Amino acid sequence: MENSFSYQSRIDHLRSRKFAQTREKIEVEGLLDEDDYGRVLPPSNAWKSIPNHPDGSFYGLDGWTQNFCSVMETHPVYVDPQDAFAGRWVYFMSRMRANKWNPDYPFDHLKENIEKYDIITGIGDDAHFSPDYKLGLSLGWQGILDKIEHYRKINTSPEQMHFYNAHEQAVKSIQGWIKRHIDLIEQQIQEETDPKLKANLQEMAETNRNIISNAPQTLREAIQWIIWYHLASRTYNRDGAGGQIDEMLRPFYEKDLAEGRINREKTIYMLACFMLNDTIYWQLGGPDKDGVDQTSEISFLILDAADKANCSINLTVRVHDGMNQELFDKSLYYLIKNKNAWPRYSGDKALVEGFMKNGFDAQLARQRIAVGCNWMSLPGLEYTMNDLVKVNMAKVFEVAYQEMMQDKSAEPSTERLWNLYTPNLAKAVRTAADGIRHQLKYQKYNEPELILNLLSHGPLERGLDVSDGGAEYYNLAIDGAGLAIVADSFAALQLRIEKEKKISWEEVTYHLDSNFDGLEGEKIRLLLKNSPRYGQGNSLGDEWARKIGEEFTQLVRAESNTELKHTFIPGFFSWANTIGFGQHVAATPNGRKSHTPISHGANPCPGFTNDGASLALACAVADIQPGFGNTAPMQWELDPTLASQDHAKLIGSIIKTHFEMGGTLINVNIMDKNQILDAHKDPAKYPELVVRVTGFTAYFSMLTPEFRQLVVDRILES
Amino acid sequence: MSLHDGPGIRSTVFLKGCNMHCGWCHNPETLSMNPELEWIRQKCIGCNSCTEVCPSGAFSLVDGKPNFQKTLCTSCFDCVEVCYAEAINKIGREVTPEEVFAEVEQDFQFFRSSDGGITISGGEPMLQAEFTGQTLALFKKAGIHTALDTNLSVSWKQYEKVLPFTDLVLADLKMMDNELHRQWTGKHNSTILENIYKLDASGIPYFIRTPVVPGVNDNEAEILSMAKFAASLKNLKKYELLPYHTLASCKYTNLELENPMGQTKDLCKKRLEWFQWIVKHTIKSPIPNPSPKREGSLDSGFPE
Repeated sequence: MENSFSYQSRIDHLRSRKFAQTREKIEVEGLLDEDDYGRVLPPSNAWKSIPNHPDGSFYGLDGWTQNFCSVMETHPVYVDPQDAFAGRWVYFMSRMRANKWNPDYPFDHLKENIEKYDIITGIGDDAHFSPDYKLGLSLGWQGILDKIEHYRKINTSPEQMHFYNAHEQAVKSIQGWIKRHIDLIEQQIQEETDPKLKANLQEMAETNRNIISNAPQTLREAIQWIIWYHLASRTYNRDGAGGQIDEMLRPFYEKDLAEGRINREKTIYMLACFMLNDTIYWQLGGPDKDGVDQTSEISFLILDAADKANCSINLTVRVHDGMNQELFDKSLYYLIKNKNAWPRYSGDKALVEGFMKNGFDAQLARQRIAVGCNWMSLPGLEYTMNDLVKVNMAKVFEVAYQEMMQDKSAEPSTERLWNLYTPNLAKAVRTAADGIRHQLKYQKYNEPELILNLLSHGPLERGLDVSDGGAEYYNLAIDGAGLAIVADSFAALQLRIEKEKKISWEEVTYHLDSNFDGLEGEKIRLLLKNSPRYGQGNSLGDEWARKIGEEFTQLVRAESNTELKHTFIPGFFSWANTIGFGQHVAATPNGRKSHTPISHGANPCPGFTNDGASLALACAVADIQPGFGNTAPMQWELDPTLASQDHAKLIGSIIKTHFEMGGTLINVNIMDKNQILDAHKDPAKYPELVVRVTGFTAYFSMLTPEFRQLVVDRILES
Repeated sequence: MSLHDGPGIRSTVFLKGCNMHCGWCHNPETLSMNPELEWIRQKCIGCNSCTEVCPSGAFSLVDGKPNFQKTLCTSCFDCVEVCYAEAINKIGREVTPEEVFAEVEQDFQFFRSSDGGITISGGEPMLQAEFTGQTLALFKKAGIHTALDTNLSVSWKQYEKVLPFTDLVLADLKMMDNELHRQWTGKHNSTILENIYKLDASGIPYFIRTPVVPGVNDNEAEILSMAKFAASLKNLKKYELLPYHTLASCKYTNLELENPMGQTKDLCKKRLEWFQWIVKHTIKSPIPNPSPKREGSLDSGFPE
């Protein structure tokens, strides 16, 4: 067979294998409301964690180093002769412990408010900032070991010695894991009968032999190096941040091309294998630190490779004034062609200008790129707790509303409610910020960032964990969730009670308490729900959303401390917590029923307008941006009838205009309504259907029924 | 947002009132000049508030459920106020040109980035020529591309008031046969054809659009006849065939109107493509200043 094991057939094989692995995960581990990643099932005799604390968990430098080295020693090896690269990850090490926070460092003083306001503090959470892969590619594993050795001689306290020893052990354990893969590849070379696959395995073996110590020199070596670091970091604590992928790989690609090692087809094959390996967040295009667009030939090849892989992919195209229009057009072509929720788009103008408002210069701001679910990071330069800390603003509203109705000393009004809402929101934000400060103080004793420290600028140089002063910058994220619920609730109360006098405060309270029960309850619910909502454009709901957004922004900003170099940056994002947050909030005056999901990120509530939803959404989300360099993404459910190649230019116009207006990130789904309904009924029929759930993509079939329903509602009401 | 009423991303303002009564009309809510009632049964929760306030008995209880008899309705719209489910809605409102401008203003950036703009449609907007002219003038002054969607059946004098503020005219041509035109639309087409010639001579860019309706004009002879007419025009920028669709049928139900084409099915895609082929091969003479290719339309396309 002439075409046996062609690049295309190998990619097809890898895709099929990935889908099979996803199905296996669902069958064995059940459904999961998050990214698919590239993880494969652990073996039956799976690794077990080694506790170092009476509570059965493991903590601190010793606990994590011992466990990580133990994982690496026993981690299954994975080689597919049709793949360009070796390796897959199997263990969620950070989820294989009894407890995620060391009880020796309690935060009891925060717990009352955490519960009261339903805050996700991020205490004990990890990663969510970006390593500098360029650093790793220039040093290689031996270079990192040399760097450890170098600074060990400078920073000589016992604590620092301990720190360096731990990192040295971690690196050596990764090298051991790579070595075991080389052994397997060599074994497979002996057994392989097909000449093409045999040659591929020989090249794979050579690639890995070359990078087990030394820095990578070729494109294949560079990608394989990234994969090893990433898989180790995933295993350690699910780190999924990437970097500026095209510019990172460009020098290797150009050198290989010039020296005749590769051609375009082989490059696409390798890049497709890379995409199928894991769903890392990569940025494509966009300006360098001086504002010059970074698009090069490999940027286009990455899109072509993503098209071949066409699985769950997290590529973000950076949109800026000097962007390469051809790259943008090609990205739109693939977005529409595949309808698989990639790529998504990041708005350079507002992100850079916003970040500069924190006191940073334009050069630094341009280096802060889209490498996470909703988030931006300066690769290797900052510790952020991005996407980890969330304030349930709908819960804060509930607290304020109850306080007002219980205090009979004054008449209820939206003015009084606002005056109660703002101090409660301030307490909630302060609690979230205190949680971050607690993390900064004690995380090193809980879960040091053993792997991300290696590719950060500072931790090895100073002998300090990245959470503990090792990083250059502490740009700390707090996100608000449920903005639309609160804005629409205020608007409904103001209109229906105060302006129209159609209903009283007591009646609203009665119906909230009874969860809009009965026919009369439903009638009142619809009266409230059909009030002018956030997203309709110059509506009462829009006014409230702006006011709430500004208040939240100011409160988060006020937590910054220049002396400690703590810069707190607000955003609006709920991640996959819309269901969980909603379960803690009773019925709300926007007509939302008790325990149902809260609104999604910065988006208006589903069904917010009957006409022109795309433009209204783009305007509304641009209007409530906090504006300090973190995102409030626009989650865009695009009707397939609009999403034709004929309309690519218009879709591009909407994306660009949203960013001109101040928008920061656009996540796009193109979903056929009938297909999504059918897939909801029988997910197994659509194993390859990918949706962008929030910032991340996931196989629809992997989501729990509750989450599938949420996605379905969003799409049906868009 | 509209992608089908002129180039780029557009906002289309639909004016109520039409001087034709085409059986295939997909905007039946714009036939009458007056505000009217829409009742969306699926949204009704059966609270009976409408029957309690209706002074004329148009809304009454039948088998314990609300029922609407349009002939009894006096258009007081009291029921709209008490229908919290928004199952009953008032279609149509009075607005000033300034109010239209303010409502659309937030979308200007989208218009500019996509070479789009505002389209005034209907109904027949030229029945309110003064309002149409004033509205288009406001947008034109703001640098927004303006389009007028008209059946061209009104006196040319009226058009002279509006065209100075119009960047593009979207003109309807239903059929060439004068008598059939009267039968299907209520009006002869002689004024329309005269106005098309005048428009052609005016130098204002314009498209001609033909709704292709099964059982009405979906035959080769009629399409060929219209294509030949289009080919005879000197300044026509584009000739488009718009396939009939049944999406408007629920509007007739909600408005308690009889749908004259209730049994008619969507025009099949292959048939449309065949008619487009006919048009394309009939209009052979190159058109000066060909219009940019309109994204997403069922554009017949001119040879360039």
